[in-house]
Amino acid sequence: MAEISAKYEQLIHDLRQDFRPQREWGEGRGLFLVIGHFLVGVAAGAWLFGLLFDYSPGLFAGFLLAGVGGIAHLGFLGRPERFWKMARHVRTAWVARGFVGLTLFLAGAALYMPPLVFRAWPWHATSAIGWLGWLMAAAGMVILIVYMGFVYSASKGIPFWTSSLHPLLYMTYALRGGAAALLVAMAMLGVPTEEIAQRLITIWIAITAFLIILFVLEIQGALTGGNAAARRSAREMLSGRFAGYFYGGTLTLGLLVPLALLSGKLVPLSVAVLAAVGLLSALGDFFMKYTTIRAGIYTPLELRPARMR
Amino acid sequence: MRWGMVIDLKRCIGCYACQLACKAEHGTPPGVYYARVLKKEDGEYPTVRQFALPVLCNHCEDPPCVAACPTGASFKWEEDGIVDIDHDLCVGCRSCMMACPYTNRYFNDQPPHYFAQGMTPFEQARTERHQRNVVMKCNFCRDRVRAGKLPACVANCPTIARHFGDLDDPSSEISVLIKERGGFTLHPEAGTGPSVYYLPP
Repeated sequence: MAEISAKYEQLIHDLRQDFRPQREWGEGRGLFLVIGHFLVGVAAGAWLFGLLFDYSPGLFAGFLLAGVGGIAHLGFLGRPERFWKMARHVRTAWVARGFVGLTLFLAGAALYMPPLVFRAWPWHATSAIGWLGWLMAAAGMVILIVYMGFVYSASKGIPFWTSSLHPLLYMTYALRGGAAALLVAMAMLGVPTEEIAQRLITIWIAITAFLIILFVLEIQGALTGGNAAARRSAREMLSGRFAGYFYGGTLTLGLLVPLALLSGKLVPLSVAVLAAVGLLSALGDFFMKYTTIRAGIYTPLELRPARMR
Repeated sequence: MRWGMVIDLKRCIGCYACQLACKAEHGTPPGVYYARVLKKEDGEYPTVRQFALPVLCNHCEDPPCVAACPTGASFKWEEDGIVDIDHDLCVGCRSCMMACPYTNRYFNDQPPHYFAQGMTPFEQARTERHQRNVVMKCNFCRDRVRAGKLPACVANCPTIARHFGDLDDPSSEISVLIKERGGFTLHPEAGTGPSVYYLPP
């Protein structure tokens, strides 16, 4: 009761603000949505790199993370028992497309993966059922990588999220998360060859460099664009309520420490370093998504100044 | 037929009668406001003025909330253009709240009454129809309108600042007011085609 009262008081306070922060996604049970989005993105990336490197543990990591991500999404919904109704409006709603993508992915992966582990399984990975599973999982993977940024960019009420770069940014997060998941999997279960590990590190560095460019462009756009709410959001992230998460979590843990570790000057490169880089990279991405969502501010309701005079 | 509303900011005195009438009509739970009145300030000292800005769902012609809803719970009635919610379909994902450029949607996760001792019989009768953990918003009092009445906020405005009518009819009172008094909408840049117009203060 006290918690609910506090939420009500917070809402009344927020409604008086010109720049009203969004709290539904990211606060309270909303944290499950951030976790779900993060895990599902990493899962799709892990599946992609698992296929590219022909590395089964990457596929398993993807399947597991997607399952947990799906459960986290359910934990966020106000009416989780109605979740299946989310496939009804695929024609226009990105959330519905994401739900279909996740369903395809989980169902496809469940068909494709078991024969990779169990020799006595009723069908082989290369059989018709195996191929059907591969195709469903691949289609689901593409949807999961693509849809998430569009969920945000379709949110017209939150100008900070509606940048045209946002979908590309989220696709890049998914790829970086996938590379990070594979680094951790390889560190835990064994690196197939040193060359593969080296290639994966190179890919991680390239994706990270691309991500930095995209992020700088997006923040630059928000700070210099005409929308006051987007500017306010960017400031909240860089010097406001969420600056600690951004500088500590995203920049230091997710970027500077992994790069320092990979330089080989702090500690010699090893399996443990691979694991640390993967985990820290994923942690940094989580904080990035968390701060981006929490920094969302609704478009202020105001009259056009020209009309007032 | 497309129902619309015109709010005359010159007549509005910010008395909150619309907000209270709406609360009484719908029995909305704490934290849910179909109609709200914002107090705004404009100008710089010494030429400063305060004005009231009543806000509600804009029942857009191209509603982004409907497009964003994954279940089809948010929908637009074809026959009168009112944007409504089928609460039996809502999963509480709150995508519509993020999609609405007018921030006039609310998630109902509060207790259905304001006071610890519970509801009065009147409140109980009004609130029992509302589902918990779903999104709620104004529906232009569609039941009243279909019964030939005005929306509660319009009927109870003491200064007759609110007008309700058919936007598609060029001879309707609201169409004439919009044309003659330079009616405008909030956030036209959003391109959603709101059905709520304001007359300059």
